[in-house]
Amino acid sequence: MDFDVNYLIEQWPALLDGVLMTLQVSLLAIGFSLLIGVVGGAIRLFRLPLLSQIVVLYVELIRNTPILVQLFFIFYGLPAVGLGLSLYWSGVLCLSLWAGAYQIENIRGGLATVERGMLEASRALSLRPTQYFCLIALPIAVRTSLPASLNTAISLLKNSSYLQAIGLAELTFVAVDRIATDFRAIEMFSAICVIYLSLVAVLALLTGRLSAYLQRPFQHQ
Amino acid sequence: MSDALLSVRDLRKRFGEHEVVTGVDLDVVQGEVVVIIGPSGSGKSTFIRCLNSLEAPSGGTVVIDGTTVSAGDAKALDRLRKDVGMVFQDYTLFPHMSVMANMTLAPVKLGRMKRAEAEETALKLLDRVGLRHKADAYPSELSGGQQQRVAIVRALAMKPRLMLFDEPTSALDPETVGDVLNVMKELAREGMTMIVVTHEMGFAREVADRVVFFDAGKVVEAAPPTELFNTPKEARTQQFLANVLH
Ligand SMILES: Nc1ncnc2c1ncn2[C@@H]1O[C@H](COP(=O)(O)OP(=O)(O)OP(=O)(O)O)[C@@H](O)[C@H]1O
Ligand SMILES: [Mg+2]
Repeated sequence: MDFDVNYLIEQWPALLDGVLMTLQVSLLAIGFSLLIGVVGGAIRLFRLPLLSQIVVLYVELIRNTPILVQLFFIFYGLPAVGLGLSLYWSGVLCLSLWAGAYQIENIRGGLATVERGMLEASRALSLRPTQYFCLIALPIAVRTSLPASLNTAISLLKNSSYLQAIGLAELTFVAVDRIATDFRAIEMFSAICVIYLSLVAVLALLTGRLSAYLQRPFQHQ
Repeated sequence: MSDALLSVRDLRKRFGEHEVVTGVDLDVVQGEVVVIIGPSGSGKSTFIRCLNSLEAPSGGTVVIDGTTVSAGDAKALDRLRKDVGMVFQDYTLFPHMSVMANMTLAPVKLGRMKRAEAEETALKLLDRVGLRHKADAYPSELSGGQQQRVAIVRALAMKPRLMLFDEPTSALDPETVGDVLNVMKELAREGMTMIVVTHEMGFAREVADRVVFFDAGKVVEAAPPTELFNTPKEARTQQFLANVLH
């Protein structure tokens, strides 16, 4: 078997561009998806009429359709009704919406573990519902929902490789693009496997640190 | 009854088909300590929760300090809630905040005090209940009795005119009950208007100006403690007291 390491060294600048694109799109989408999760979780917690139903529908829609279909819908479907986005933002939107649905469920799970007494105590102290949510419920809920939220973030990073299907120049796209001209499939796919593994490992390490910090016992110093 | 701080007329609360509070009249004057006793499920908690709008009454009126709140007027009740502090059975401190943060949160966030002022007030209040040295501790680092004392001063930090207590010592270890009752006695001595649901008959005898016996969502009998405990008029009161005092 002939495995050409020199070829990979040669291609490294292109792969690095792919990695940077993958990271950019993923980190942005992780941020947006957490935002969607918090807002959607709040809507479900307070059972806001109409909005609650919309959130349920959204979550079901995302969880029960293939992500590739969602991506094509955004990139090829939306322009037909005048809502066309750039390649980049289509990718960010797709990943954000996909992971957002899961983050809503993660955060809702955490919120469900917050004791009812916390709400009553907040109300007895005349705190407003938004103050209760931001200052009491969410900080307590984050501790429980964190592991699930981090898993979703890691899945998002891996799913960013779907974006090659619309031609966004992220890591998988770069690899596939090179293989089409150079026919070095084994080198390229080995390389991007290692790169994805390392990215996930770094993300897992960072989030492990973060979760250890956020889940430290409630004690001083 | 124009000098009543709290005046309740024909208060009712139903959950679905089930009417739990079935027409309560009660007046409480400034500085008065009213203790509510009664069998489990008689609607004591539901009644006092209606007084600070944790439950919306289904009928009747609550007047606090001259402001009438009709049933269903949630906005007005909310405004009044600021004058009413409440302490629950399961000391509901916020677990992710220090004692100090628990105490200053509401006064600061509601714009009642600047942070420095709120912290000063909190320290003074903690001093009064012997917990100044615990200002930086988290609730999980305190005993049940200490947590409950913090819950009491957290409510006091809002400078309420009326304090509601719903079985504040029922969830505590026997050895810490006394500390919490002492704080409440002290509060009563200082002239705080209080409504206390409790099974502590000793506290009722010693501190209450009036003891109210509640059954089936109604006030059956209300009288000063010596009278209610020694010569209860109603058969149901006699029966209840015979059960709890022996
Ligand atoms: N949110 C609710 N929904 C339906 N029923 C309720 C609700 N809250 C209380 N109840 C019912 O109302 C009745 C009175 O309850 P409440 O808690 O007021 O009694 P209590 O006198 O405080 O009893 P205890 O001494 O056990 O605390 C009970 O039958 C209870 O099941
Ligand atoms: Mg009760």
